[in-house]
This record gives sequence, structure tokens and C-alpha cells, in this order.
Amino acid sequence: MASSSERRGIPAATFVKDVQEFLVQYDGNPGTCLTALQERLQQYKLAEMKLLGQKRDLLAKIPDIRKCLQVVDLMMAKKGSEEPLKMDFEVAEGIYAQAEFQDTETVCLWLGANVMLEYGCEEAKELLTRNLDTANKSLKSIVEDLHFLRDQMTITEVTIARVYNWDVHQRRKQRAIRPEADTAVA
Amino acid sequence: MQQGDGVETEVTWEDQQNINAFGRLNNKFHELEDEIKAKKDMADNLEDASNELILADEPELRYLIGEVFTHLPVEEVEEKLESLKEENSQQLEELQEEKNEVLAKMAALKKILYGKFGDSINLEED
Repeated sequence: MASSSERRGIPAATFVKDVQEFLVQYDGNPGTCLTALQERLQQYKLAEMKLLGQKRDLLAKIPDIRKCLQVVDLMMAKKGSEEPLKMDFEVAEGIYAQAEFQDTETVCLWLGANVMLEYGCEEAKELLTRNLDTANKSLKSIVEDLHFLRDQMTITEVTIARVYNWDVHQRRKQRAIRPEADTAVA
Repeated sequence: MQQGDGVETEVTWEDQQNINAFGRLNNKFHELEDEIKAKKDMADNLEDASNELILADEPELRYLIGEVFTHLPVEEVEEKLESLKEENSQQLEELQEEKNEVLAKMAALKKILYGKFGDSINLEED
């Protein structure tokens, strides 16, 4: 029925074909059923927030890697030129110092965890390209997870609406059978 | 997405899939709108930069790459700006195209879903 039963620990929402049949597992009580569905929806929303956070982090990380690549590219392009490459560095907020480069062979990459490692330009470029690739891949899979999650949320929302509608309908029917039970005309 | 007016219309798995698809497209539409806006802002900024460049009479400019200002000759900066502009406008075009596709698909799904559920379903933004 559903395309897959779970994805990365996110359980799939089941599509309900027949509301009445579905309610049997809740002893025919639409109220309990709605509470359970709402709870499920909240869990989906929580998972969505988590994934959106991861997506945001990656969307910030990718341009950073691109910037690093641009700098390495520029250094490689300037290698062997007569003129030294001049750059203004920010040493503290608002304070810049100037540096000159000529025939730079290596760059140091900040690897995180308080570690910086010196790389040859080619090597650095390779590493950065690989990191960019990985980041793009994770982004893609997060977007896919989000799609899956969105579908499950939509299914749950539609199910909630249908159970609710079914309940309203049942009440109306009952009222039609025993109008004296409720003086208000339906 | 649905309104409870008590009218019973049978919802099939196919309907559900259409509703899912619509929800997804709607989401995509908003993402595209944001991206298009960002690209348009970028285009404006690049245009401003080129205009300033015409007025600049120094042979060497500071060009921001990452967090450092690199001293580059004007011609090189011009080149870089032009290629950025081109890249940006191409991406913008692709995004616009994608947006039109999404809108067309949404319109088709709306027709199907309203056709079946009529007033029982609401696919408009609040």
C-alpha cells in the first residue's frame, strides 16, 4: 500500500481505506483515534524540525567550502606570476593586516577539533572538492527525507480530517434516526 | 487541508497520492520563490558592483574572496564580475523555469482534486 514502511527510523503513515474499519482498533471511538493521530503528527513535526535544522547547517556549510575552494583556486592561478599576491586579512574585528604571497605551494586547512594541517594546493583542492561533494550528497538525502516526511504528514492530516468528517456524519445520521434525543434541528 | 463539512466522499489511495504530490509541490514552490528572490538580489548587487567599477580609477581593487580582501587588477575584477553575473542569471532562469513547471503541475492537480472533492477540499493558501 504505502511506498515503504519506514525511512531512516521515520515510520510511514498508513493510508486508511475505510474509516469505520480503521476505527475498530480504537474500539470504534473516534476521539481516541484522533488523539493518537494528532500525537503521531506532532512526532512528525518534531522530526521535520530536526531535519530542517540539519538542512540549514548544510546550506551554510556549502558556501563556506566554496569560498575556501575559490581562495585555493586563486592561489594556484597566481603561482608563477611575477607580482606577489597581496591580501588584506582581518586580524581582529575591523583591523586588517596585509600579506604578500609569491609562489605559494601549500595552504593550511582547518580540520576542526583544534587541528590544522598543511596541504599542497592540489591536495587541498582535492580534499575541499571531496568535502563539497559529500555535503551536497547529504543535502540531497536530507531533502529526500523531508519529502518523505511531508508525505507522511499529509497522509496523517488527511486521515485526521476523514475521521473527523466520519464522526460528524455518524452523529448526523443518529440525530436523523432519533430526533427527540436532540431538540435542535440538524 | 480538508474542511469538515460532513459530506462523505470516498478517498482512495490515488487521491491521497495526489494530495501528497500537491503538498510537496506547494512546498517546492515556496522554496523556489525564496531562491529566486535571493538570486534577484544577487543580480542587483552584482550590477551595482559593475557600475561602481566603471567609476573606479584605481588600477588595483580589493576583491573579497571568502574572508580576505585580495588585491586584484581592475581587469581581473571585471572578468570575475562578468562570469558571476552570467552564472547568476543562468541559475535564475533555471529557477524560473522550474517554478513555472511546478505551477503547471499544481494547476493540473487542483483540477483533479477539486473535480472530485469540490468544496470538501481546500487547496488555497490562507
